[in-house]
Amino acid sequence: MTEDVIAVRARALAGALAEAGFARLRVRDGETEIEVRRASHSAPVRPSCAVPAEPAPRPTVERMADVISSDVVGIVRLARPAIVEGQELDEDRELAFVETLGIRNPVRSRGTGHVIAVFVTEGQPVEYGQALFAIER
Amino acid sequence: MFKKVLIANRGEIALRINRACHELGIATVAIFSDADRASLHVRHADEAFCVGPGPATRSYLNIPNIISAALISGCDAIHPGYGFLAENARFAEIAADHGLTFIGPTPAVINAMGDKATAKRLMQEAGVPTTPGSGIVASVDEARTVAEQIGFPVLLKATAGGGGKGMREVHAPAELPTAYATAQAEAEASFKDGRLYVEKLMVNPRHIEVQVLADEHGGVVHLGERDCSVQKPSHQKLIEEAPAAELDPGLRARLHHIATTATRAVRYTNAGTLEFLVSGSDVYFMEMNTRIQVEHPVTELIYGVDLVKEQIRIAAGESLGFTQDDLHPHGHAIEVRVNAEDPENNFAPAAGTLTTVVFPGGPGIRVDTHVYGGSIVPPFYDSMLAKIVAVGRTRESAILRMERALGETRIEGVKTTVDFCRELLGDERFRAGGVGVGWLPSLLARRAQPV
Repeated sequence: MTEDVIAVRARALAGALAEAGFARLRVRDGETEIEVRRASHSAPVRPSCAVPAEPAPRPTVERMADVISSDVVGIVRLARPAIVEGQELDEDRELAFVETLGIRNPVRSRGTGHVIAVFVTEGQPVEYGQALFAIER
Repeated sequence: MFKKVLIANRGEIALRINRACHELGIATVAIFSDADRASLHVRHADEAFCVGPGPATRSYLNIPNIISAALISGCDAIHPGYGFLAENARFAEIAADHGLTFIGPTPAVINAMGDKATAKRLMQEAGVPTTPGSGIVASVDEARTVAEQIGFPVLLKATAGGGGKGMREVHAPAELPTAYATAQAEAEASFKDGRLYVEKLMVNPRHIEVQVLADEHGGVVHLGERDCSVQKPSHQKLIEEAPAAELDPGLRARLHHIATTATRAVRYTNAGTLEFLVSGSDVYFMEMNTRIQVEHPVTELIYGVDLVKEQIRIAAGESLGFTQDDLHPHGHAIEVRVNAEDPENNFAPAAGTLTTVVFPGGPGIRVDTHVYGGSIVPPFYDSMLAKIVAVGRTRESAILRMERALGETRIEGVKTTVDFCRELLGDERFRAGGVGVGWLPSLLARRAQPV
């Protein structure tokens, strides 16, 4: 992959990073590993004119998470019982599958860990590269 | 009419299709690869799905992901554009199996025209002239007999060939034994099939193609010809125009007649192009392209017909809203392909970030592009950045307008074909009209020679 393409990919991940409120996220997809980090000193300069107060920033946590994203375009079918945030995975297991033209594409946890985010709901359409789960190792 | 169309392509043609759909009141769904996330075709569509990583085999050629995106978003049709899956009969079949209308001809016709031998046979049966030649020849002696019948120069070609491998030009009988042996050995080594056939070699022919439209109710029209003879040594087109300059009116009428006859004979539907080699008063069918072509705007500008909208209307089952008698070309149009490539270095493709992008405007100029200042040219795809099209009352006025337009164009960050094409437009031979496909390669060869 060229640097330009990595930059494009990283921008997409930054959305997931902000949503989850983590300090950094690392994504592996077999060919590439991309890590995005939140800037440590992100105090915004306040404009002098009156603006509504910004909500207090969500506390960021210095943790390493693997984001598991979809390899296909399809509909999410969560495992039953559904994986929930906060759950411990003590073995490699299937978290969901993404259904594409009637074919089930399994989404596995790729090892053990602590589920810190579930980005999708049952029946949700997802695209290639869309974040599904974040797992702290 | 369709409610929502998935555009299974990228770049300027995806944007072109998006425009046609929106003007028809049809919602659009774009697909894109990781590398094209910031492309204009994504921004202008109503919805967009990432279907894979940069390499086309995993994104723009990923049939399951593309069909899945169409189904999830509730599309009723797919427009394939050109390249990628546009002439893939299996893709058209799979789309139909999932209740999606493929905006193009039937899979059977795509298949028939895609196989060169079948296409040639069907065209011969329809009375279309094809390049004189033989079937497989078993020996040098047989090759010589055929060559003497059709007349030298001839081309020895490997039946399994491609990319110029196993191909030899033979200009005189004495050259035949050596050419036969080397072509056969090369074909054997490259394709494990040394069988050869003989074809008439045309010296510097013109590439002239005829645009046709055919509906599902028997309506067939042609929209004149385009001259695409200005080709790089790799046979890729660089400058196209309509109508063809310096073409005998009788020959022009014959080309149009052959094209509509052949279109009816193969029961073609939707937009298509029949490509011919023209040498003197001889016309030979080369191939039929079963899709919209890159250079379609030159036809649109002189006929006032929106070919992409017509494709969509035809696929939706509508009849052509006009007959041949309603179609009259006005003026002359010329198209220049702005490619991210280096004309000084064998047109080597370039990738990178476009720092400055300024396109021309003003009377008679059309620009079809997906790029803008700051956009990234990924290394994975065709290097075309834009098509600049100029229309004028005469060929000379269209060329003058194009020279003016290319002068206004500024693209920085990667090397492009803009200045090179402007130079070509000023060439005396080009200005006279009617150059053959050998013109640009020989001009480049002369330039490469040390002074």
